[in-house]
Amino acid sequence: MPLESNARIAKALAERGYNAEREAVTLLAGATDPAAAVSAAVDRAPDDALRITADHVREAIADSNRSAASTDETGYSPVETKGSGTADPPDTEPTSDPPTDAGPAAAADAATADASATGGSGAADPPTDDLSATDASVADSSATDASVADSSATDAAGTSDAGRSPSRDPDLRDLAVGNDMTGRSTGTGEYSDFVTTFRDRYERLSKILRGRVNHRPAEAIANMPGGSDAAMIGLVNDVRSTKSGHWLVELEDTTGTFPALVMKDKGLADVVDEILLDECVAVEGTLADDAGILFADSLHFPDVPRTHDPGGADRHVQAALISDVHVGSDEFMTDAWHGFTDWLHTPEADPVEYLLLAGDMVEGVGVYPNQDEELDIVDIYEQYEVFAEHLKEIPADTEIVMIPGNHDAVRLAEPQPGFNDEIREIMDVHDARIVSNPATVSVEGVEVLMYHGVSLDEVIAELPEEKASYDEPHKAMYQLLKKRHVAPQFGGHTRVAPEERDYLVIEDVPDVFHTGHVHKLGWGKYHNVLAVNSGCWQAQTDFQKSVNIDPDAGYAPILDLDTLDMTVRKFS
Amino acid sequence: MRPDDERYFARIEERLDEAWDVAETAKGQGRDPEPEIEIPIARDMADRVENILGIDGVAERVRDLEGEMSREEAALELVTDFVDGNVGDYDSREGKIEGAVRTAVALLTEGVVAAPIEGIDRVELLENDDGTEFVNVYYAGPIRSAGGTAQALSVLVADYARALLDVDEYKPRDVEVERYAEEIALYDKDTGLQYTPKDKESKFIAKHIPVMLDGEATSDEEVSGFRDLERVDTNSARGGMCLVAAEGIALKAPKIQRYTRDLEEVDWPWLQDLIDGTIGKDGAGDGDEPDAEPADGADEDGDPDAPESEPEADGPAETGVDGPVRADPSQKFLRDLIAGRPVFTHPSEAGGFRLRYGRARNHGFATGGVHPATMHIVDDFLAAGTQIKTERPGKAHGVVPVDSIEGPTVRLANGEVRRIDDPEEAKELRNGVEKVLDLGEYLVNYGEFVENNHPLAPASYAPEWWVQEFEAAGADVRALRDDPHVDLEHPGVDRALSWAREYDCPLHPEYTYLWHDVSVDAFAALADAVAAGDVVEGVLAIERTDPVQDALESLLIEHAATPDALRISTWRPLARSLGIDDGLRKEWDADDLSAAAREYADGENAIRAVNEVAPFEVRERAPTRIGNRMGRPEKSESRDLSPAVHTLFPINEAGGPQRDVAEAANVMDDTGRRGRHELEVSDRVCPDCGEHTYAALCPDCETHTEPHYECNDCGTVCEPDEAGRVECPNCEWEVTAATYQEVDVNDAYRSALETVGERESAFEILKGVQGLTSRNKTPEPVEKGVLRAKNGVTSFKDGTVRYDMTDLPVTAVRPEELDVTADHFRELGYETDVDGEPLRHDDQVVELRVQDIVLSDGAAEHMLKTADFVDDLLEQFYGLDRFYEVNERDDLVGELVFGMAPHTSAATVGRVVGFTSAAVGYAHPYFHAAKRRNCDGDEDCVMLLMDGLLNFSKEFLPDQRGGRMDAPLVMSSRIDPSEIDDEAHNVDIVREYPLELYEASRELADPEEVEALIQIGEDTLGTDDEYHGFDHTHDTTDIAMGPDLSAYKTLGDMMEKMDAQLELARKLRAVDETDVAERVIEYHFLPDIIGNLRAFSRQETRCLDCGEKYRRMPLTGECRECGGRVNLTVHEGSVSKYVDTAIEVAERFDCRPYTKQRLKVLDQSLESIFEDDTNKQSGIADFM
Repeated sequence: MPLESNARIAKALAERGYNAEREAVTLLAGATDPAAAVSAAVDRAPDDALRITADHVREAIADSNRSAASTDETGYSPVETKGSGTADPPDTEPTSDPPTDAGPAAAADAATADASATGGSGAADPPTDDLSATDASVADSSATDASVADSSATDAAGTSDAGRSPSRDPDLRDLAVGNDMTGRSTGTGEYSDFVTTFRDRYERLSKILRGRVNHRPAEAIANMPGGSDAAMIGLVNDVRSTKSGHWLVELEDTTGTFPALVMKDKGLADVVDEILLDECVAVEGTLADDAGILFADSLHFPDVPRTHDPGGADRHVQAALISDVHVGSDEFMTDAWHGFTDWLHTPEADPVEYLLLAGDMVEGVGVYPNQDEELDIVDIYEQYEVFAEHLKEIPADTEIVMIPGNHDAVRLAEPQPGFNDEIREIMDVHDARIVSNPATVSVEGVEVLMYHGVSLDEVIAELPEEKASYDEPHKAMYQLLKKRHVAPQFGGHTRVAPEERDYLVIEDVPDVFHTGHVHKLGWGKYHNVLAVNSGCWQAQTDFQKSVNIDPDAGYAPILDLDTLDMTVRKFS
Repeated sequence: MRPDDERYFARIEERLDEAWDVAETAKGQGRDPEPEIEIPIARDMADRVENILGIDGVAERVRDLEGEMSREEAALELVTDFVDGNVGDYDSREGKIEGAVRTAVALLTEGVVAAPIEGIDRVELLENDDGTEFVNVYYAGPIRSAGGTAQALSVLVADYARALLDVDEYKPRDVEVERYAEEIALYDKDTGLQYTPKDKESKFIAKHIPVMLDGEATSDEEVSGFRDLERVDTNSARGGMCLVAAEGIALKAPKIQRYTRDLEEVDWPWLQDLIDGTIGKDGAGDGDEPDAEPADGADEDGDPDAPESEPEADGPAETGVDGPVRADPSQKFLRDLIAGRPVFTHPSEAGGFRLRYGRARNHGFATGGVHPATMHIVDDFLAAGTQIKTERPGKAHGVVPVDSIEGPTVRLANGEVRRIDDPEEAKELRNGVEKVLDLGEYLVNYGEFVENNHPLAPASYAPEWWVQEFEAAGADVRALRDDPHVDLEHPGVDRALSWAREYDCPLHPEYTYLWHDVSVDAFAALADAVAAGDVVEGVLAIERTDPVQDALESLLIEHAATPDALRISTWRPLARSLGIDDGLRKEWDADDLSAAAREYADGENAIRAVNEVAPFEVRERAPTRIGNRMGRPEKSESRDLSPAVHTLFPINEAGGPQRDVAEAANVMDDTGRRGRHELEVSDRVCPDCGEHTYAALCPDCETHTEPHYECNDCGTVCEPDEAGRVECPNCEWEVTAATYQEVDVNDAYRSALETVGERESAFEILKGVQGLTSRNKTPEPVEKGVLRAKNGVTSFKDGTVRYDMTDLPVTAVRPEELDVTADHFRELGYETDVDGEPLRHDDQVVELRVQDIVLSDGAAEHMLKTADFVDDLLEQFYGLDRFYEVNERDDLVGELVFGMAPHTSAATVGRVVGFTSAAVGYAHPYFHAAKRRNCDGDEDCVMLLMDGLLNFSKEFLPDQRGGRMDAPLVMSSRIDPSEIDDEAHNVDIVREYPLELYEASRELADPEEVEALIQIGEDTLGTDDEYHGFDHTHDTTDIAMGPDLSAYKTLGDMMEKMDAQLELARKLRAVDETDVAERVIEYHFLPDIIGNLRAFSRQETRCLDCGEKYRRMPLTGECRECGGRVNLTVHEGSVSKYVDTAIEVAERFDCRPYTKQRLKVLDQSLESIFEDDTNKQSGIADFM
């Protein structure tokens, strides 16, 4: 007899219109004839019940045991995941600290390193070689491979009463969503909407920088005498290298623009490399004799303060951070997904009370030319229906928060509002919260910034490889944290929908920054903020194969909300 | 050359000389920038090369070498001449190399295209890191028009010259090598290359090439690595360099190798590796992969690298079961289908155009013959000159009307099926057409298959094929042809049946039906129905059932329909073919058919069954159907700048948006003076009195003035060097004669009116230009503009008046159809018709001479106006006699014009012989080829000869890359067939194709197999016959039949066009309307919506007041330059304009849910961006 998984039981119950207690599912899965047990339990449940409880099941099983031969309930031994799996995030300090402490030698080194890096494949190229660059993240996750065996052996784990966790109490939960613009898109695509958006960006980000420099408006700087010290906060309007190897950075504020010259021997080379257009920075320096240009001495990003003190839950509770499920694709990894949902029904997964999904639920339609030829499910609504079925496999009392991604059926321009009613209705299982991309989710004291991650492509393309690459997606995320904006550059890869405020600004420092999109797994801490890019559930596509990208598929990072330690579980 | 041809050219040159003398006198007055005619005459290619390059002595040397060696060898031989200083007047080594390189490119492009002057900017000597010198060739974008071979050879020539001059090889730095690879890949991604070298190949070439390839930036895309290199001026892609390296060196390596072998001084052993294709194969995968898109980056940007599987349909049904031999269907021509341009035949689909071999007299050279009735039946979407994209043999054809082939077969609303061979009948019937069952024949000449190197496709069975089989079977065809009672092409039923029987010859095509398009079952059902029918008064009536009706329609058998019967008047050949005798006795039953016949092509093809039951052989009537769709419409319109310009005289902003000179002349300045403007115009000086002026004629002493080159910086007065460049000896930069000076526009305008004696009321408006773009900014005399405005013509950038027309070929004409008489033709020197009979009647067919052209009605009218303008100009401005004195358009017959194509720099002299109502320019294929055009929808222009001679000046040409393209820097007064684009040599020139061609086509043979049997233009080159004897296999009543204009041009907006397109798709049997709707949505609407939506969300903005552009919206909201209003460049309207239509079309034509959903998702995206969620439009119900 095929072993029944918890997920299938949950699904079977859902099909009959019932939610189920976690323990009930476990009990049913352990029954000799789970299918019969399910029917029996349903029969047993009172007519007005919406939820099958463990009691119903025990009664039902007792009934059937009376009629059938007694079952052997032994032979199960819970297996602990080896080494608890807390992956120590590589404590990678960004190399580009404020310019003042970068010695000239270091700068020179960085410069040459930069040259050779761009030499390889060009900054616009994604990584093409998996050489030694595949780093700690893979090594770490391989450490968790031990848990794979456990995770897939879940069916054995269910029958015990021990599975019941007293802590899994909905009343203890605390979940709030911020920065959600769903239903609040007020932009109508006018010129003034764009201006408003960028002004809002400037206002909110410059506020962060104001304490650090003595900012003067562009207009005022233009009238200052030559040789004065001056500082300006502005959006980067232009960055150019000059023939002599210096950089010209043009900043813009609400009064106008002013150019700053970053000399190549100032030790700021490394910093200039990190600059993206339209991000907000502060420059401090001395005006030229003719007052026409500012010679930069230092350059500041809004950044995350080193003193950032993350919050935490006051009990042991966990959240699973996943993204890029891509249901409907030929390459969707059904088995890995089942492995994951099955595992969620094991006692070990008891603390996992939250699931945060960072976009691309489905593969979508018309995302790239001739996509229909690679779709398992061509109908977009059916894709969501099947996704909803997969969602049902997750324990019914799990709190789920989802944001859309670029494959989902919402506008591509960011911010992306949560789904329309038609699709929401399809996905109404579990009362999942569907919010905009990006959005902040406050989970039992932990602030999680969720963003799908389209801008990561651009950050990786624009910045030198050691600062951002597909093999270390978290490093690209550090850059976004540093800029306090999830998609700074306008006019390039990222699309912008103008709104009354710039929803893409990271106004409050999050404790966790969660993205997906690039299908690579990577995490690390930046100034105490945990950045996680959570892999995917889609195996390598033909396109990825053609460009030599090997996705990290079938991983579920599990975050301890009390300690902010993270374990990665592998299900593929 | 025959004396007759000699006389022809002499006549043309005589008239040319006449005009030349007048123009020379006029120009000699010095009123123009130069006191002489600026379009030199080239009698042959050598002349053209010399004139286009402006290097003396080249022509003579080229002529010396031409007889002895190939052009490529001559180009290399000339290098020694340049190096030794025998040719050209160059002192510097770089000058010598430059001269040699340009000459080589000019020679290989026959001195017609602009590549040698526009595509090569300069040659420099630079220093290697080891202190030695190397050669740097600086290419520009227009080198593209030279083609790969000439591009590659230019490098070889530079290297050869380098070696002879003892300059060292280029030793690239590593960064430069890397840069080449990155840049070529970038250029390919951005612009596209015919051949994309792998990074390894690019690096290999860069490493080994002995001269440096450099060039100017051609796009804004910048490389990301290897920037700011010391020896490379730009960070952008250098298009010319990329073309030469990729399409030249990499692609043409074998060709270059052939020439390097013969030269001792140059040795490129590395070419062998390129040829072997081993570069990039060994050790692959070590980090040199081409650009990869980000992991998830394949969003709807339509990533060009994404795998695109061409849905090629399956090949012939050769596998397994026996089936007919067919050419493979190809879908390529359907790509990028756009709204409003209909599909006529889906790939190889029954009911579509049937391939017939032959060349009509207005045919060949990338054209396709279509019956004029078909043109009307497809709702006038096809007209003479309309371009269609075809399935085979080439990619595109210009459509020509040919009525000696079969027309369309249609089913009318009353059920009647009939073939329409008369355009008038087509016009009458077309509103009643319910279904177009067949589009008729599509005439393609044999030469097309040769030119495209396309295997012959099985031929339609046609009278010209049958008659040869008939003759081979023993019939006395000659006698029958002479018999007035016999029509070999359309014989009567009795005669056809008896011939088939008596001579054991296949049934005449007139009565051969399309048996290959019906299944064996349908064939059997039809036979039963016929056997069960009745013959009443000679008409066979059979029971009307769907299968039988379908079968008759597929077979294209004409019949009438009543509610329960189908009535066939010509029924006997049908009955016989079905194995039924005149008494309607069927002599076989289904079991008698052999298995081979029953199972042929899975039972879907009844041709074998027919041949088993019929008492004679029945051939496949139409085995090849040619898919096609509309490309661009034909063109016949005057070439105007935008906005139109009457005079090349600058008036700044003062003329308003209309650039009205009168308005500018009236503007009053602060001091109350009218028409004073600070203009940037040339500074010229009078050699006699030293007066400075912008005018070409000194206002004081009326002497011709010369440009005055004064260095802006140091004030040195400079002189131009022999190449026309002016450089300040102190400051070492280029000096031009242009300066800002105060010009009294009012005076210029008023005195111009006075000079030519015209009043302001003579014209509506006189339009000038905002500013001049030429190097010295020499203005044109306002007088010329006054007279242009008066006569209703406008000027092109070079001072000429031009008219554009789609090119079509014609090798024989009837004076009548050209709206002229036999008398006119005799005056032009035509004496006999194509059969050698004396030319007496207007309807005799006369072979056209190579430089004679036919103007469209619009062109004729425009040329009349131009002639009046030129005459006024001669009389009122130059004070000479009128030259043309035309009253009606007949007066234009015999006058000379220039034909001139874009991207070329040489005009070809043509002679007007008549007019056509088709919106095209008909001329001899050799004339088009001399301009380097073919006729697949290409267009180019004509100018009136005297207009060009008087008004063209190089001084007016824009001082920018490509400025000298499309300008008549030289004229060819006579065409040498050996010196034209050799595509024209593949036009076949026979009266009849041999039986072997038809037989070979049935085996998909290579066209070469019958090449010896069919004469093509190439065969007569260099003989006395090279100018005449262009025979044709098919006649046509009139070369202007069919609609004058394609419906595409007469229908209103895009929606109307698209509705008509989809309506037509419904009507045509060979077209799947759902597929058309899908494709229009997929290739036109979706990309448009998606592209505009993407553009919207990353757009730049522009100041409405000063035009300043901003990459991102300024935070100030207003323009930082002028404080003006800034606005978006992409608005909601342009994003969403097609959404509703696309959704409606998808619904109406039942497109796939996938397509509908894509549209729905997009529609919701638009709503999400352009609508305020909190302020949603509510329905009317909310207010009730």
